[in-house]
Order: sequence, then structure tokens, then C-alpha cells
Amino acid sequence: MNSRPNHDAGRDPLFDALRADMATLDTPPAVEQALLQAFAKQYPQPTPRRRWYQAWSPRGWALGGGLAGAALALVAAFSVTLPRLQQAPSIELAAAGNRPLLVRADDGDPFIALDSAERIEDEPAPRMVETEVPRSTLVALGLPLTPDNAGDAVRAELLVASDGEALALRLHDESDERWIAN
Amino acid sequence: MTSPPAPTDIDLLRATRSGRADAFAALYRRHQGPLYRFALLRCGGAGSAANSAADVVQEAFMGLLTGRFQFDPLRGQLQHFLFGVARNLILKLEEAGRRHLALVRPGTSDDDEDELELDLPDEGACPLARLLGNESAEQVRHALALLPPHYRDAVILYEMHDLSYADIAAVCQIDIGTVRSRLSRGRAALAKRLLPLQA
Repeated sequence: MNSRPNHDAGRDPLFDALRADMATLDTPPAVEQALLQAFAKQYPQPTPRRRWYQAWSPRGWALGGGLAGAALALVAAFSVTLPRLQQAPSIELAAAGNRPLLVRADDGDPFIALDSAERIEDEPAPRMVETEVPRSTLVALGLPLTPDNAGDAVRAELLVASDGEALALRLHDESDERWIAN
Repeated sequence: MTSPPAPTDIDLLRATRSGRADAFAALYRRHQGPLYRFALLRCGGAGSAANSAADVVQEAFMGLLTGRFQFDPLRGQLQHFLFGVARNLILKLEEAGRRHLALVRPGTSDDDEDELELDLPDEGACPLARLLGNESAEQVRHALALLPPHYRDAVILYEMHDLSYADIAAVCQIDIGTVRSRLSRGRAALAKRLLPLQA
């Protein structure tokens, strides 16, 4: 149904000026702002979900990185020492009379006992393991530590029990090519 | 290279309801102008017409946003629906204003087509008069503002917004015959008042 045939012809030219003058009138901008604020309340935007790595602060990252580095260093140290532990020849303590010797002189350098004498004496199958130990960890045993050699490693021979426990230690100072004792 | 077709009102409404602010803004920008101009002319007799018109536009879109006003696409265009909402809001404003001023004018119901009375607008501070620099436009606006509201609705929607009789009937919730009658009487009253301008 066309209820308005020839509408353009039916429009009153009296309104032409009013139509032209009002064509550019728009609602004040404040109305749009108010409506968009109302929209934001009506449809609150969900906060974007934070990834696990975004939840960490820089301090947390530093701590985590430090721990991870330490763990890697431990793994590296084990990877170096484990094959040597497996390949180390077992030794027998020399017997003196009916008792095994607690410390056997070897090129004049004695072992340092790390456990009680009874424990070392009672060990049925001790074996010798050669390894390297950071010099800085041996300060408590009296090894001299200077800024120059703080990062060095010291060759060591360990007397190890069958359960893996270290019973005695003998160090070899690389600087003077001699075994040292406490 | 042709640009993609503009989204329809239905598309924008659907996107609005899914929470897209840009769709709501696009819908608002598409319809606010005609709605504001309708409200401005419809409120043209009052001194605070611009503020009232802005309030009406804001309330109409707010109602669309909150679901207070439910648009049914099967029953017509969104713009005509908004015209109807604005008209009802203006009627409420006028009713409240009449109650406030205790102005009782017997014999001027919407269905009274026999007696044409002219409202007396507030001539003082009409913002539209300041906005319209063209003298003839201002005279038409003034004459329009003197029409009773139910004639004003039909004339504004027909002459300014190019709505058909059927569309006006839907907006004003009257039958087409009444639209014809109101439009005819409204235009006759305008012609009489604007006789000097036409001469």
C-alpha cells in the first residue's frame, strides 16, 4: 500500500528553509558520552586474563632465575662427577696386623677423616673416587683462599663407602703439585 | 573498489546486545540527528526545548540499551520506533509540565479534530530561534510551535522526516485516516499563519 503517492511533490516548499537550517543540528556531545558510560556499566568489559608469566613481578623473575641457575649448576656438577664415580677403581685399605689402617700414607700425604674412625673401620667395601671440588667450599678445612684462586677447583680423592657416603678426603693442590693434608 | 555495505540496524542492535560499544555508538550516531531534530521541533514551544530534546534522545537510547523499550524489527524500522518512543516521552514531559503549571485547557484531547487551538509558546528564550539564522525558517518554526501537539507530530514527521501516512500512523498509534485529517488541518493552520510569508 502506498499511502503517500508523489510524496516529494506533496512536501510543502514552506519547510525547505527549515529543513535546510536544521539539517546540521545534532544532539549535544555530552549525551553520547553519557550513553557510552551507561553502556560501559551495562556491559562491563572482562579484565583480560593474565598469563602465568605476567603474574610474576621482576623480583620474582630474578629469584626464579637465580634458583633455576643454581639448579642447572647442580645438574652440571652431577653430570661431571657421576661418570667419574662410576669409573673410579675401588681400593682396599692396607691391613696392618688384624685391623685396617684408618689413613694410608700415599706419597706421604694422609687422608682427612670425614667420619668417625669406627665408621671408617667398619666399612666393608670402601672405594676410591677421584673428583674436583671448588676451592671455595674447602675453606672450612683450612685450604687457603685468595681472590686469584677463588674460582679454581681442587683435585681430590674421596674414600667412599658402599652406600655412597664420603668417609675420607685427600686433596691435591694444583699450584704446588702436591697432596695436602689438614 | 567498492566499500563493504554498512551494517543494518538489526546487525548493530545484535552487536550492541553482545556488548560491543562501537556498535552502540554507530547506532546512536546514525539515529541521533533525526531524533534530536524531531524532539527539538516537537518541544519547540518551550524555552528549554534544546535541553528537553537532548534529554528525550538520551532517555530513548538509554531505554533501548537497558531493554526498557523493546524494539521489534517485524513491526517497522528502528528510526520510526525511536520517533514513537520520543513522542511518548515528550507527551509525558508535557503532561508533567501541565500538572506543574496547573494549566487546564478543556476540549483539547487528541481525538478532538474539530477545534484547532494554537498553543502559546514561550517566546522568550527559544534556543532554536537563536540557532536558525534564516528568517523564513524561523517563521515556519514559530508557526509550527503554535500548532497543538497532535497536529505538530504529523506535520513534523511528514514534512521534516519524510514519513509516510502509514509510518506516522504507527508512530502516533492512530489510524491512517486520522493522520490524513491531522496533517490536513495542521498544514491549513500553518498556511493561514504563514500567509504573509507565502505572498
